[in-house]
Amino acid sequence: MSDPTSCCCSGPAGKNILLYACSGGSNVAEMADHAARQLMREGRGIMFCLAGLGADIPNMVQQAKDADVNLVIDGCPIDCGRKIFERHGLKNVQYVRVTDLGIEKKKGVPVSESEIAAVVARCKETLCSL
Amino acid sequence: MKKLQILGPGCPKCKMLAANTEVAAKALGLDYELVKITDITEIMKFGVMITPALAVDGVVKSAGKVLSPDEIKKLIQ
Repeated sequence: MSDPTSCCCSGPAGKNILLYACSGGSNVAEMADHAARQLMREGRGIMFCLAGLGADIPNMVQQAKDADVNLVIDGCPIDCGRKIFERHGLKNVQYVRVTDLGIEKKKGVPVSESEIAAVVARCKETLCSL
Repeated sequence: MKKLQILGPGCPKCKMLAANTEVAAKALGLDYELVKITDITEIMKFGVMITPALAVDGVVKSAGKVLSPDEIKKLIQ
């Protein structure tokens, strides 16, 4: 099994980037999750636990504070991820919202590769703009 | 006794964080035990995904950074 942690010696582009995906049950949540995992596999960052921050797990909150960038992929305008980070008062955060890409939030429908690719592309744009 | 835990696979930056932590602990005159945790499974039990990390008695104080002895002093006092 590959090392699931990222040592600062070999982090993406020298930065510690943590990736969080919407954990809902809709299609846009599934896209957010797939996109975050793909970005992690491509070495763009390390996927981390949004629920852990929502639950105020101290060790996880500390890591979010210490990260160079936290990239939060929310599924829809409810913006649960954004609200979690705002509650913690963290400023080292970038946000992507799947429905902003013109994708409609639905339940029980399969997601497509092209939709996931669109989310991944938006995330890369966001990270590259830093 | 405080348990100062260095979480990391053993890269040069992990070793530097351990060394700086030892310097800080000695400068403060702490009663401490320095523990290096290199096993990934054990590291992940702390919820740590970016290393090196410094924990004090199981509580993560810093992750993904090589802190200076002065910075560490503030975290382990």
